[in-house]
This record gives sequence, structure tokens and C-alpha cells, in this order.
Amino acid sequence: MTSRSIAYATSPRTAPGINAAVTPPTASPADSPAPAAKAPTGTRQLTWRFRGHRGAVLFDRRGVVTNLGLALALALVAIASLCLGSLAISPLAALQGLAGFGDPMNVFVVRELRLSRLMAGLATGAAFALSGCLMQTLARNRLATPGIIGIDNGATAFAVASVLGVGVGLAPPPMALAGAVTATVITFALASDIGTRGYRFLVAGIGVGAIFGALTQLLLAQVAIDAANAAYPWTVGSLNARDAASLTWLEIGLGLGLIAALWFKRDLACLRFADSVATGLGVRVKRSRFAALAVSIALTGLAVAVAGPVGMVSLMGPEIARQLSSPRGVPLFGAALSGALVMVSADLVGRLLVAPIEIPVGIVTAIVGAPFLLWILLRPAARFRR
Amino acid sequence: MTTRVTTPSARTRAPLATLLFALLIGLALVCVASLLYGAGDVGPAEAWSAIHGSGSADARFVIGSLRLPRTLVGIAVGAALGLAGALIQAVARNPLAEPGLLGVSAGSALAVAVALVLGADAATLRVSVAQAGALAGCLFVLAVARVNGVGNDPVRLVLAGAILSGLLGALTSMILLIDQRSADDIRFWIVGSLAGRRLDDLGAILPSLGVALALVIAVARPLAALALGERVAVGLGHRPRWTRLLTVIAAALLVGAATAVAGPIAFVGLVVPFAARALAGPDVRRTLWLSLILGPILVLAADIVSRLLVAPSEMPLGVVTALIGAPVLVAVVRAHRMPAL
Repeated sequence: MTSRSIAYATSPRTAPGINAAVTPPTASPADSPAPAAKAPTGTRQLTWRFRGHRGAVLFDRRGVVTNLGLALALALVAIASLCLGSLAISPLAALQGLAGFGDPMNVFVVRELRLSRLMAGLATGAAFALSGCLMQTLARNRLATPGIIGIDNGATAFAVASVLGVGVGLAPPPMALAGAVTATVITFALASDIGTRGYRFLVAGIGVGAIFGALTQLLLAQVAIDAANAAYPWTVGSLNARDAASLTWLEIGLGLGLIAALWFKRDLACLRFADSVATGLGVRVKRSRFAALAVSIALTGLAVAVAGPVGMVSLMGPEIARQLSSPRGVPLFGAALSGALVMVSADLVGRLLVAPIEIPVGIVTAIVGAPFLLWILLRPAARFRR
Repeated sequence: MTTRVTTPSARTRAPLATLLFALLIGLALVCVASLLYGAGDVGPAEAWSAIHGSGSADARFVIGSLRLPRTLVGIAVGAALGLAGALIQAVARNPLAEPGLLGVSAGSALAVAVALVLGADAATLRVSVAQAGALAGCLFVLAVARVNGVGNDPVRLVLAGAILSGLLGALTSMILLIDQRSADDIRFWIVGSLAGRRLDDLGAILPSLGVALALVIAVARPLAALALGERVAVGLGHRPRWTRLLTVIAAALLVGAATAVAGPIAFVGLVVPFAARALAGPDVRRTLWLSLILGPILVLAADIVSRLLVAPSEMPLGVVTALIGAPVLVAVVRAHRMPAL
């Protein structure tokens, strides 16, 4: 890993940090008639000529295989999530119902109930994980996910205020966005002189999260029990009967966020090195970091507005993607796929485990994710440098 | 053995007796305020006359049967949590260690939830179960501190504790979701509050508080020696292993008792020793005794705020302590030189 990353740092132009970014011609055709540089090991280069221009795309083989595998697993879990529940439907019947024919009961259950839930799970899972991956990269801290540093709780407090009708009468998504921005500003302002790399940043973030958590409780204590129950899903994180308008907001945001993240993927790969190295590689460090932060906050805010704080997904998604894909780039797409996979599986488990009672997805991910997080925190330091 | 463990700064600070006296006056004032102010209809003036034996029957009922037990329970809970925080910080040598943040309170809450699901009901059983859970949480934290590198990094230990706390909290919520009967039983307990606590609850925890206090008196001096380092403590004739074990048992008894009666309340164990050190310097013995009085002051003050802030409804005590404690946590973490313990 070490030797590879040094090689990467010194020759970024040929480095395959990107799954599918167009690499510029390595030399002008005039002084090197020989074919372009050979693709590095583990990658495949796709070259073409079009009206005299030569283009090339470099694919990281392992990354592509990983993403295909994750997509397949996600498809299987998604179908399972459409089939299973209080009314079990065979996969074939579920797909028929999805297409709109077959038993009308199946059509109703699949299309009206389970599909919207599945969509909410996919979108929130992908958004949380992508957001976590961006935050970890820009903070250069493997544990710095929005859930840990208090951003989820900030968004939750504002979303609950919106649901309870306290303060401004805005819908949950813009309020959650405002909350995410507020919490981020506070956490990063507090980190101004301790930096974002160490454990101190995380504990400062936990403190900020605790304040927003207390504010949420404060809001809930003031209102009648019915209003408090309406806001309950936001306090634990649940995918049950989520608001369609908020989901639309999230889907638009997720689409834009994915495009933006893939756009500056190369910069992100360089941000993992020291600032001086990244600057030397031609990355405008401050600008890239700010862009990554903006996308990360927006995705967290919008996802919280739909499903409440399911912070563990933003840790587990990127971690799974990182274990599976090659260490060369930042596995943004893989993280989004893994996040969706974790979210939908956790929701499925929560629905089936003690059947008539439903365990909210936030509790399932907390129980699964916390040991995972402890393992990352407590494993011997030597294993960080694999 | 006449060796005294004092620090140079201790001489420049106010004598312990003066500090204790001032704090006791403060505690008395908070107690009176806790009797006078409430979320209900009985205002301060009416409450004042009720304390003197006059006033309406309603007012006398509110003061005698509601606010007085609540205040006494608050004193016990505050003293237990403050003292436990000081003990855990001393034994972990970590200024951020706190029963709520490290998952000790969450451990005892989970133990109570499990016991309820398994069919337990009696109040005394709840206390011992909560103490067993707190002990398990303490031992887990000490085990984590032994993982290489974690014990030397106060912040990393707290992070591990916060994660453990989240895990135990999620498990508790899951158990309560599955078992609706237990959820109804402890709905008002699990959020952490002093509302509606009776004198019986206080009586159930008093014996174990007494035992814990005796243990604290026994380990205060060895703990102060331990602060100078393991070798110095051994040289002074103490046995560090026993000191640590007894300290952890005392802390578990205290946290378990407080949690059994008031539910999990975070941050008291962080703020109280922090304030005590600011007042009395780094000597563990002075910190311990000051924490014993500062704890009730903080808890009662927070309880009064929790009654008045959203009156006529009330909010959980843990919310107020979090609002006070989280900024202290951030400040300690951000300090360039963390106070070494």
C-alpha cells in the first residue's frame, strides 16, 4: 500500500484513482509516436480515436467488479424487501405486482406500501453513506461521519421543530438542511484550533450532538403527546410511512450530489494526502474541501428529513466499500451502493425480526454498527497501515 | 505513616473547610428553592407559608409529599453521581471519564430493562440489578483502557465509551419496543428524571450509598497516592490493584443506585469534578469531598430549571444536565493542555 500510494502521489496523471475519468493524453502525438503509456496493473484502459482526437478511459478493475457485485446484492435485497413482510409474496408475483398486473392485493401491497418504503431506504442509505464518505475524506478522519460529529442531531432538532410547528413554518427538508448547516458551522468552528484529524474533533462533535439532542427533547417536552408522537420517527430513525415530498427533495439532492461528487472525484483522491502534496498535484485544496463539505451537509440534511438520524449507515457504507474496492481512489459510488444495501437490509431485518412489532431501522443499525465502530476504534494501530 | 500528599497549589487556595462551608450554604439555598418553585399551581409565597405549617392543605400536600421527597432524592442522586464521576476520573486518570459518557449508566439501564422483561418487579431488586449493570459497564471501560494506546489517550477512551453507550441505549430501546408491559413500567424512569420519586425509593438506595461512602473514605488516601504514579503508591505502602478494584466497586454502587432511582442521567459526573478541581486544585481527596456537595447543588439546580423552563409541563432532568454538561465537555476537549490526572 505504501509503495503504491507513493507511486500514485508522484505520477497522478497515470494513476487510476478514478473509475472512469478521462485521462489527458500523456504526451503530444508529435514527439511520441509510440502508443500511450501502458495501463497500470489492476486497471483496464479503453482508448479511442474520434476525428483525430485520442481519448482514453481508465477503469479500476477491482472497483468495477466490486460495484457490480454490490449492485447485484442490492437488487437481491430489494426484491426480498418487496416480497417479505406480514404478507409474503413470491418473487415472481412481486415483480408482476411491481409491473402493475396480477393479484390486485399484491399490486397494492408492492406498489403502494413496499415500493415507497424501498425507495426511501435506497435513497437515504445512499445519501447517508455518500455524505459520510465525503466527510471522512475532507476531514481526513476515518471516524468523522456526520452522525458522530453532531450534524445528524442538528438536522433532527430542526426537522422536529418543523414537524411540531415551532418557529418558522417551513417543511422538514429545508429546516433539516438549515439544522445541518448550523451544526456543521458550530462543530467546525470549535475544531478551528484542534484540527479535524484527531479524536478530539470527534468528541467535540459528540458534545455538539448532545446539545442538539437535548434541544430536540426540549421541543418534544413542550407539546401535546399527539404532536410528540408525530415527531417520534425523527428521534430514532425510521422508514415507516415517510413523507413523499421529502423523499422527492432527497432524490433530487442525491442525483445532484452524486454528479458533483463524481465530478471532483480526482480532487478527493488527492485530498487524502497532505495539503502540500495535494496542492502540488494541482488541486485547489480549500475549494475542493468546501465543495465536498457542502455536498455532504446537503445530503445528510435531506436524508435526515426523510428517515431521521440513521448515522451509523454513514460509517458502515464507506467502510464496507473501502474494504472491498481497491485502495487507490475514494470509493464514492461503492459507498453509496453499500449504504443503500445496509439501509434496506437493516430495515428488512427490523421488520421481520419480531414480526408484528417493527424495530425502527435506526435501532437496528445502531446495534449492528456500534460494535463495528468500536472495532475500528480499538483495533491495534498497526492495522491502519495495511 | 504520616506522608501527606499535597500539591504546591493547594496552599494558595482556600482551605477545604471554608470551601465546604460556602458550598453547604449554597446547597441549603438550592434546597429551599427546590421546595419553593415548581411546575404546578403552588407559588413561592404559598409554599413558604406551607413550610411554616400554615397555608392550604393542597399546598402542604404538594410540599410535604411531592417536593420534599423529590428534593431529598435529588440530593442523594447528585451526591452519588458527583462522587462517582470523581472516582472514575481518578481511577481512569482521565478528566473526561464520566459514568454517563462511558456507558456505565447505560449499562445499568439495560440491566434494569432486561430484569423487567425477565419478570422482576421489586424496587430493591431494581437497585441491585442496576448496580450489577453499572459494574459490568465499569469493567468494560477498564478493559478498553487496557487495549494498547487507548488508556494513554483520554479522548479515545471517551469515544469508545460514547459508542458503547449508544449501543446499550439502542439495545434498551429494542427490548422496550418488544416488551410493551416493561416499557409502560419504566417509561418515566428511562428518560432520567426526579419527578414523582418517593421516599421509599430513597430508602431502597440508602444502604448501598452508605457502603459506597465507607469505601470512598477507605480509598481516598490510596487514590491520592496513586495519582503520583504506581511506583510511588507502592512505595508508600498502598496496593494499587486493590485500590482500583475498591474504587470501581464504589463507583458502580453509586451509579447503580442513582440510576435505579432517577434513570440514566449524563454529564453530572463530568461537570461536578471539573468544578471541584477548579475550586480545590488537583488533590483527589479535596475533589472527592467537594464533589459530594457540588453534585446535589448541580442536580437540584438542574431539576428546578427542568420544572420551570417549560412550565406547566416538565422536561427530563437529563436534558438540562446535557445542556450544561456538553459545553463543558467541548471546553475540556479543546483545552490545549488537558488537565492531567
